[in-house]
Amino acid sequence: MDKTSLLATPGLTPSVGFAAMIGLGLFLLVLSFLIRRALVRNTHDFIIANRKIGLGFGVGSVIAVWTWAMAVMMSSAMTYKWGLSGLFWFVVPNGFAVMAMIPFARLLRRNMPQGYTISEFVEYRFGHSKVASGIVTVTMIFGILLEILINLKGTSVVISTVFAIDWKIAAIVGILCVLTYSYFGGLWTSVMTGTLNTLMVTVPAAIVVAAVYHNINGGTEAVFQAVQAADQRNLSVLRPDAAAGFGITLAFGLLAATVADQTFWQKVWSIKSREVTRTFFWAGALFYPIPICLGMLGLVGIAYGLAPSDIGGDIAAIGPYVVSHIGLPLFLVVVYVLAILAACYSTIDGASAALSSVVAVDIVRRYWPCTAEGRLFMITKLSMFAGGAVALGIVLSGADFTTLVLTTYALKTAVLLPLVLAIIWPRTNTLGFVGGISLAILFGMSIRSVYGELIGTLSILGISGATVIIAGLLGREQFSLASLRNVGNLIESVPPNASPAGLHPAPAASGGN
Amino acid sequence: MSMFHIIIALGAVGALIFLVGIAKGAVGALRSGHDTDADSEAGVVDSGHYGFTAAFAVVASAVVIALAGVAPGLIYLGPLLAIVTAAGVGTAFLVEGH
Repeated sequence: MDKTSLLATPGLTPSVGFAAMIGLGLFLLVLSFLIRRALVRNTHDFIIANRKIGLGFGVGSVIAVWTWAMAVMMSSAMTYKWGLSGLFWFVVPNGFAVMAMIPFARLLRRNMPQGYTISEFVEYRFGHSKVASGIVTVTMIFGILLEILINLKGTSVVISTVFAIDWKIAAIVGILCVLTYSYFGGLWTSVMTGTLNTLMVTVPAAIVVAAVYHNINGGTEAVFQAVQAADQRNLSVLRPDAAAGFGITLAFGLLAATVADQTFWQKVWSIKSREVTRTFFWAGALFYPIPICLGMLGLVGIAYGLAPSDIGGDIAAIGPYVVSHIGLPLFLVVVYVLAILAACYSTIDGASAALSSVVAVDIVRRYWPCTAEGRLFMITKLSMFAGGAVALGIVLSGADFTTLVLTTYALKTAVLLPLVLAIIWPRTNTLGFVGGISLAILFGMSIRSVYGELIGTLSILGISGATVIIAGLLGREQFSLASLRNVGNLIESVPPNASPAGLHPAPAASGGN
Repeated sequence: MSMFHIIIALGAVGALIFLVGIAKGAVGALRSGHDTDADSEAGVVDSGHYGFTAAFAVVASAVVIALAGVAPGLIYLGPLLAIVTAAGVGTAFLVEGH
């Protein structure tokens, strides 16, 4: 299988690329207008969809926000780099990370049914501690921004690889397309368009991958033999170097990426309470085939002996390169691009919606409780533009894709165990929570920079968890999660022109620290 | 009939189930989404046990990936299951509330 036989599909001009990006954006914008007209009247609708999301849209939207550029491009990239072991370590923890939300989501939705954000939970959990909630708020914002920029980078990689558009232009056009349509409907738009985008990353993606193999002389047999000939280990899922190289670190990082992410907690509180558990189970299980399917493109890259320098230097481009150079008809290449764009757009959209909830609840309502509904609504919507602008600025600076991902995971890993313990262990106290996160970031990140990802990740987890446990054992406080049932709707569902609304005073938590 | 054509046919079926489901879901959302009545089931959460089924899903994903390294034809398992995902999302709309 000779890589010199790979030629770009004719007709992949920049115009087609722009048409795909803008066309998808316009289609979603029309949907967004319709959704806004029918379902969005105020901040409550905008950030929490009036807590009316059912199982179908719940499953579809959770899959959509979890199908990052990661799932659709890095699955191919990790397969290309490590063979099936790379795909194994990338995929298996991924779906589990979504299902791992179930016990925590169930606990919080049962005991704090009117919540909005995980930072809000932390505030009430730790006696209105501004430090504790502030750390989580900052972490959530940082995580959301990185989520946006990673997917924006993914958009620019695929568009620049396939259509030879300058990656900076692609990033600018991409973020404008997403923010334009997501501005109008908030979470309802995100949920509905995201669910529709889930169709794009399943059926069309399956057809494109099958088409790639169909187009290769000898099909799967030829690819299989070539992959095996390149390195026997490519067809094994048991490569220890893949586990040590990125797998174990990624597994913990993925757990942190769901449990310590407002994008998912926003879903927990916006889905009908009876459907929360089922939603996360179905979404986690149904997510798996998406990266498995697209990961098969990585095997083609191995079979053809492609080097990173052949595909522009970034291995994340292996999938787009294979699809656009294997000889597929133009429309199938465009379908693949639309599938990638759908994944990226829906994740950016979901992250922007999560950011709006953080701004409304954890910043504006917390520090300026007398903000009128109309102004709150406007600030909430504008925050999405602010987040997109910051993310775009970082992407345009040229930061490396893989470095961005691993940095995100390390920071969220510092929050993971303290947050889990705050939910499930009544003796977790403020000192342990704040201290655990702070020490993990301070020392764990330093260890990571010296000793690498694996030891760094384990150090971060160990330091954060141990600090919480030690502080909890030394302290005497016991917190009753049930006391959070008195926390009321912080953002009332009111008409947009309602008079200034003060903070609804939540009854004092009983049995707290 | 090649595997490619089979996947196209199955894909069409999966897409149809998805679209039927999302249409039902959209109509339902439009009807209930603006309802400002307090959720009478607030705090009532499904307490079903998903441990074993979640473990099964995790193990199954690992097995599917491993099988791609056993026989060339099993590389198509990924695309086939992706179509199952589309049908699954559509089914989620259809079983909603039951």
